[in-house]
Amino acid sequence: MAIHITHLLKRYSKNVVLDHLDLSIKQGSIFGLLGPNGAGKTTLVSILNFLIPKDAGKITILGHDWDKNQKEIKSLCSLVPQSYAFYPTLSAYENLEFFGALHGLKHKDLSRQIAYALEMTALEKYRHKRAESFSGGLKRRLNIAIGLLNNPKILYLDEPTVGIDPQSRHYILNVIKKINQSEGTTIIYTSHYMDEIEYLCDDIAILDHGKIMFHQSKEELMKNDHIATLHLSDESQKEINLYENYDALVDVFCEIKEKSLHVKELQLPKNSLEDLFLSLTKKELRD
Amino acid sequence: MLYHTLKKEFLLILRNQHALIVLFVMPTLFIIIMSLALQNTYANKYDVKLNIGVQSESNASAFGAFMDKLNQNQFFNFRLIENETVIEEALSTKTYDFILSMTPNFMENIVKNEEASIQIISRSDVAYQQVAFLKQFLSLKMAEMVIENFSTVLNLKSATQASFEEKITHTYLLKDNHPTQITSVQHSVPSWLIFSMFFILIPISNTFINEKNFGTMDKLRSMNIPLSGVMLGKFIPYFVMNQLQVFCMLLVGMYLLPLLGGDALVIQGSLFLLMLISAVVSIAAISFALSIATISNSSEMATILGGTSNIMLSALGGIMVPKIVMPKLMQDISEISPMSWALDSFLEVIVNGGSFGDIQHALFKLLTFALCFFSLAYLILKYRRD
Ligand SMILES: Nc1ncnc2c1ncn2[C@@H]1O[C@H](COP(=O)(O)OP(=O)(O)OP(=O)(O)O)[C@@H](O)[C@H]1O
Ligand SMILES: [Mg+2]
Repeated sequence: MAIHITHLLKRYSKNVVLDHLDLSIKQGSIFGLLGPNGAGKTTLVSILNFLIPKDAGKITILGHDWDKNQKEIKSLCSLVPQSYAFYPTLSAYENLEFFGALHGLKHKDLSRQIAYALEMTALEKYRHKRAESFSGGLKRRLNIAIGLLNNPKILYLDEPTVGIDPQSRHYILNVIKKINQSEGTTIIYTSHYMDEIEYLCDDIAILDHGKIMFHQSKEELMKNDHIATLHLSDESQKEINLYENYDALVDVFCEIKEKSLHVKELQLPKNSLEDLFLSLTKKELRD
Repeated sequence: MLYHTLKKEFLLILRNQHALIVLFVMPTLFIIIMSLALQNTYANKYDVKLNIGVQSESNASAFGAFMDKLNQNQFFNFRLIENETVIEEALSTKTYDFILSMTPNFMENIVKNEEASIQIISRSDVAYQQVAFLKQFLSLKMAEMVIENFSTVLNLKSATQASFEEKITHTYLLKDNHPTQITSVQHSVPSWLIFSMFFILIPISNTFINEKNFGTMDKLRSMNIPLSGVMLGKFIPYFVMNQLQVFCMLLVGMYLLPLLGGDALVIQGSLFLLMLISAVVSIAAISFALSIATISNSSEMATILGGTSNIMLSALGGIMVPKIVMPKLMQDISEISPMSWALDSFLEVIVNGGSFGDIQHALFKLLTFALCFFSLAYLILKYRRD
């Protein structure tokens, strides 16, 4: 397990933001954390990165105890914050150089890591341009590039695609996939875009009111997405796999006919994550 | 790591044009303007004489001698004017600064110790000191006339005012007994230097608050960097910046100002002490700026909070208006401003050629001030962190 959290509690005075949350995240996976505004995604990521203290609970990251081994954990992880984390008047290269040096990188190591980060995010062309002159997409990429400098085992990305166009979004999602595949980096990805999470993540959780409402691998999620359930008049249920060939379907309906039952209700699969999300988090508007 | 931290911070300052203007252009202009403006307050010389019109119905030849006597001075320019001259117009057009109106037969009567008087007429906006000085000057000249007259009558060698004045000389006493003239440059260079050094606040709070409001501070805190490293990374570049200001402003005083018709800056004391004071002032200014930056939530807040307190401290501390022209009460009040401690130390070295013993007390106060504000900033940052 990359991250193991038990009974994590965080409150701001009376407002309980994380309510005895339990969560495990597999090493090498891309973990998607979905949640409406104010669900507590950033709060969770901030605690994991030591930006704010927790009130109770136990956290283990890559086998290190959060309470005792802050230094080890910090050196193994990297955070890409929700807002831009670089100096606008410095060029991409100067920013990378500064943050790389803070990671303790020197000379050749520093140049190598900068080159790697620039290559992964395809920023080589813009290396000597000032960050303030970048478009939204380039800024997001620079934000990610800075997060790659220390070759993290765990990379936290807090809503890295907010406010950019579909092309850049798609590009960034693929960059993240590439990082995960080439380095085996565990990725913690928060977002409220369902489609992104569905496309990107192997492991998906929905956070709301400080609790994990749902946590499944994408495989499991997909498995259910073509099973329709028939509620029959004798109170029994029959599942039909919509992807199987017609013969199987015909069999099911013959069986129903033979027993002279009728279908009381047809339940179609919760085929999209969006349906699931809305059914779990209700439709009320969040502040 | 330190190298790259410094490099980053320097690049940020150098690309912040507003900050550069505040740190270098503003004090240069202030030094030039204020040195030239205050030149006469320090040196006892007047390049513009006051014009004084004299109305009199006295016998012309006797009065002519008195006028000659009056005109033997470097401050006033006396001229006879027609009795029909409209006084109001002469004053309001500033043809004359003062009009003197004398009673008939003024000369004859004054020598005979009979009824004679002078009325001084001026606009309402003249400096009171000028009136007082003119009155004193006239009474002296009248006394001289009377004495001279008696001397002639008694056939004595006259002792004129001029010869009395020669008997009184003025020397500024300096620590190493090298007498020189105090100039306005010696006040304005350290004054505006201190003022602009405290404005290091602008770039410090700009970068600091940007780090806080963007994700940069979060990113930095999620990394393994000790708080002391963050603070040191801020302190050193701005310290260097401050010293660069010192260097530049000394050059402005010594070389640029004379080209513009001002006096050149003369430093009586040791350069080493000057550097020591600069270092201490810088530490105080940066500590103060760091604490303002930590308590502010936006650049606007920092600029207003820091800018206002800087201007208050400087107005109080004798930066804007030299302490010598302040009344006693204000001089006492100015003692609470750290800029006043800084200015006193600088003046002690630049003007009086003072030694370490003369400035240690002020330096100690400045360091205490720095320690208080630095601790404040450190504690706020640390508290916010945990
Ligand atoms: N410093 C704070 N003081 C008080 N309440 C806070 C503070 N920070 C966050 N909160 C509250 O905690 C809750 C969770 O906030 P958080 O930023 O973690 O949500 P989020 O899921 O990241 O939302 P978003 O999608 O908008 O980024 C919100 O209700 C917010 O108001
Ligand atoms: Mg958030």
